[in-house]
Amino acid sequence: MPVNAANRDIPTRIDGYGDTAGKLYEGPFARKPDARRSGGRIRASVPNGGSKVAGGIKDAISAAGIRSGMTISFHHHLRNGDYVVNQVIDACAEMGIRDLTIFPTALFGIHKNIIPHIKSGVVSRIMGSVNGPIGQLVSEGGMDTPVILRSHGGRPRAVISGEVHIDAAFIAAPAADRTGNISGRMGRSACGSIGYAFTDAEYADCVIAVTDNLQSYPISPISIPGIYVDFVAVCEKIGDPAGIVSGTTSVTKDPLRLLIAKYASSLIESSPYFMDGISFQTGAGGIPLAVTAFMKEAMRRKDIRASFGLGGITGYFVDLLKEGLVKKLMDVQSFDLDAVKSIACDSDHIEISADWYANPWNCGAAVNMLDVVILGATEVDVDFNANVNTEADGALLHGIGGHQDTAAGAKLTIIAQPLLRGRIPCVVDRVHTLTTPGQVVDAIVTEYGVTINPRRKDLMESWQEFNCGDDTPLVSIDELADRARGLSGSMEPVHTTDRIVGVVEWRDGTVIDVVRQLES
Amino acid sequence: MLYLPGNNPNMLLRGHLFKPDGLIIDLEDSVSRHEKDAARILARDVLKRGEFGKCEVTVRINGTETDLWREDISFVVPQGVSGVRAPKVETPQAVKDLDEEISSVESKSGVQVGSTKIFCLLETALGVWNAYDIAKSSPRVTAIIPGGEDLAADLRTSRSKEGTELEWVRRMLIVAARAAGVDALDTVFPNISDGDGLRREAGFVKQLGFDGKSVIHPSQIPIIHEIYTPTDREIDTAQRIVAAAKEAAERGLGAVALDGRMIDAPVIRRAEFTLERAGQMGKSENRG
Amino acid sequence: MDASAIKVAQAGTVESMDCRVTIAESDCPMIIEISGISAARFKAAMQAKVADVLESLGASQDACLKVDVQDNGAIDVVLGARVEAAYLRFIGVYES
Repeated sequence: MPVNAANRDIPTRIDGYGDTAGKLYEGPFARKPDARRSGGRIRASVPNGGSKVAGGIKDAISAAGIRSGMTISFHHHLRNGDYVVNQVIDACAEMGIRDLTIFPTALFGIHKNIIPHIKSGVVSRIMGSVNGPIGQLVSEGGMDTPVILRSHGGRPRAVISGEVHIDAAFIAAPAADRTGNISGRMGRSACGSIGYAFTDAEYADCVIAVTDNLQSYPISPISIPGIYVDFVAVCEKIGDPAGIVSGTTSVTKDPLRLLIAKYASSLIESSPYFMDGISFQTGAGGIPLAVTAFMKEAMRRKDIRASFGLGGITGYFVDLLKEGLVKKLMDVQSFDLDAVKSIACDSDHIEISADWYANPWNCGAAVNMLDVVILGATEVDVDFNANVNTEADGALLHGIGGHQDTAAGAKLTIIAQPLLRGRIPCVVDRVHTLTTPGQVVDAIVTEYGVTINPRRKDLMESWQEFNCGDDTPLVSIDELADRARGLSGSMEPVHTTDRIVGVVEWRDGTVIDVVRQLES
Repeated sequence: MLYLPGNNPNMLLRGHLFKPDGLIIDLEDSVSRHEKDAARILARDVLKRGEFGKCEVTVRINGTETDLWREDISFVVPQGVSGVRAPKVETPQAVKDLDEEISSVESKSGVQVGSTKIFCLLETALGVWNAYDIAKSSPRVTAIIPGGEDLAADLRTSRSKEGTELEWVRRMLIVAARAAGVDALDTVFPNISDGDGLRREAGFVKQLGFDGKSVIHPSQIPIIHEIYTPTDREIDTAQRIVAAAKEAAERGLGAVALDGRMIDAPVIRRAEFTLERAGQMGKSENRG
Repeated sequence: MDASAIKVAQAGTVESMDCRVTIAESDCPMIIEISGISAARFKAAMQAKVADVLESLGASQDACLKVDVQDNGAIDVVLGARVEAAYLRFIGVYES
């Protein structure tokens, strides 16, 4: 079996995916594009063409001419409050459409409604992250074709390069007008940024805005202009606000996580990047938010201002913006109410597309401007490889998100994670699934201290210089793995069959790893 | 020193990661009556495993007025703990009873007799009144500690933010401890979300002369360390004292003077303690 | 066996890094069940630890006991302590 550059066995042919020759991972920046952009069908409209409101979702599906075997796309800004995916798939099923490939940016627990449609053949393929119950189903062999996992940057790259062709894109629109101008900033289902949907709108053959908030023409501000949109479907509710945004994000109170955050923040402060104009991405997890809080103190102490905060934006980041500690926010996904409110009224809070955010094949994604990113992982190994896709039991339960893209782009990539989750060690000899290779991971921070990738001698030096005394210990990766093993004992391997149920693509479209079916 | 609830595996296993100077495994108030058996077993096994970083480990046992303390001792002393914290000590006799029981367990279990220290929690007016006699009642006694809530109740008052009700008790305990040649450690500050209050109180007890303060939450540790971290001037003086003492020892002299002041053993010990606090010396027996 | 008369004892909690061990009389040789977050990767090791501790307390593999471990991340030292506490309660050394 061929082995890719990350030392993973990849079969020459993967059923339901295709030949892997020429598509094996070669290194984080090895594969370069050599083609023109691919695109959607060109449409024309006539003056006074009138309204694009097609009626309800079913009316839009028939107007769009969606047939069995097509690829339809969705975006996940409504997160676990999204009603659009379920409504569209239900409608397709009722209309006798089958064998669909769905191409969501992510699926959540709420989408377990489509499980019966997977079993009955309405949905035959998923390209996108599968969280929760659908991931469990896939892991146990519940689909005939493997799920294809792409990062936030890898997905628009696949669309723009023509690796994935979208027949119809459904865009959940918290606000829209009759010509299909779309905004995520207002309405009962407001979600702020709708950045993941931009590329779908531009490249799909047919674009359908699904809204519960039809406003008079033209709305403003506009995130996706109606020039890309074919039809507007109106339904009662596109989502449940409680599942779309959380109330206020608060920093963890768990002392262990605070300790890890403190160590991570010290590492950032010790690095050469901690100076005026620093940029960072911290996401919405408990530890990263606490890191942001500690960095805020450090920035005040040393009178430093950040140039921008990137990625998924929380109220915590918004506070930094308001206080002037961060000059701009570049927002691909607004996590909470404060972020939604901020992007709606503050011009320094910028909505960006997934392409702009993270695509390796454009003229400069925002991740390439990033100094520091704090990430998590279900496990990392002694080569600093990270797994964010499969859980301890081997089940495929998480998407890649921006993990690969930010790790590859940032100058300092930190994975901050407790060494043990219960008894399960987070530092192992070899990750079960490889999502992000160790070549783009610089440090791991646990409750035992800071572990720096040996190839980053510069960081080790700045760390030693910063820390006189043993306040924040420097721990080698082998020591960390030994400690984990000492606490947990040795783990039984994950028992899988040979059948491949998931393909993990590196952001450039090569196969970095595969996920195999769990033994029943 | 950080209190760890004795029946809570998460804290028992992870407490040392927060880098307190010491850990106190609590079998008393944080463990309900019907969980005492399980907590003892857990504490024994975690002690036997013994991964506590650089922390000194003591165990708060149940009081000598209960029917639990002998069994507590039989579980933890054989594991070689630095000491036991005895709650509600009121009389020298209580310490003698403890001493006797500990000696018997030490000799049966092959632990060096006398190695287990006793930390006395004085949580009643009578205990405070007897502080000096209690401190002198056994060579095992290494520190006396005022009570908090229980003592306030026994004094027929309650704990205030300012600590008015404990002020005289603290002053008295310092005198008793110094007179008896033991350490004085301060009680916990109960409001874990009031960092400024803790900082004030720790500053006050440090100035009174307390050698350290117990804490009930990891978030309190950095504040205590900050208060007890010596200033540059203190470090400088301490370095000169240690250097002078070393030179005196090499030349076979007993006592030596520095800047016109006699340097004897306690002064040297204090200087070493200061340097240890400042992270400039190996770990010694001192606590904080 | 009359279900209401079955002797049962329990120790531990389902808090993080702990486990709840339930020991009950049974009419067949020892069954050790492990459920919870670590089961996928540590089941055999945990079963062996339970059996070791019980054996050291005098309960062999053919004792008629059903042991149920509801795990929330207990490492061996905790698992062992919980099994011991549950078993001692079971045989009535302590009141439970």
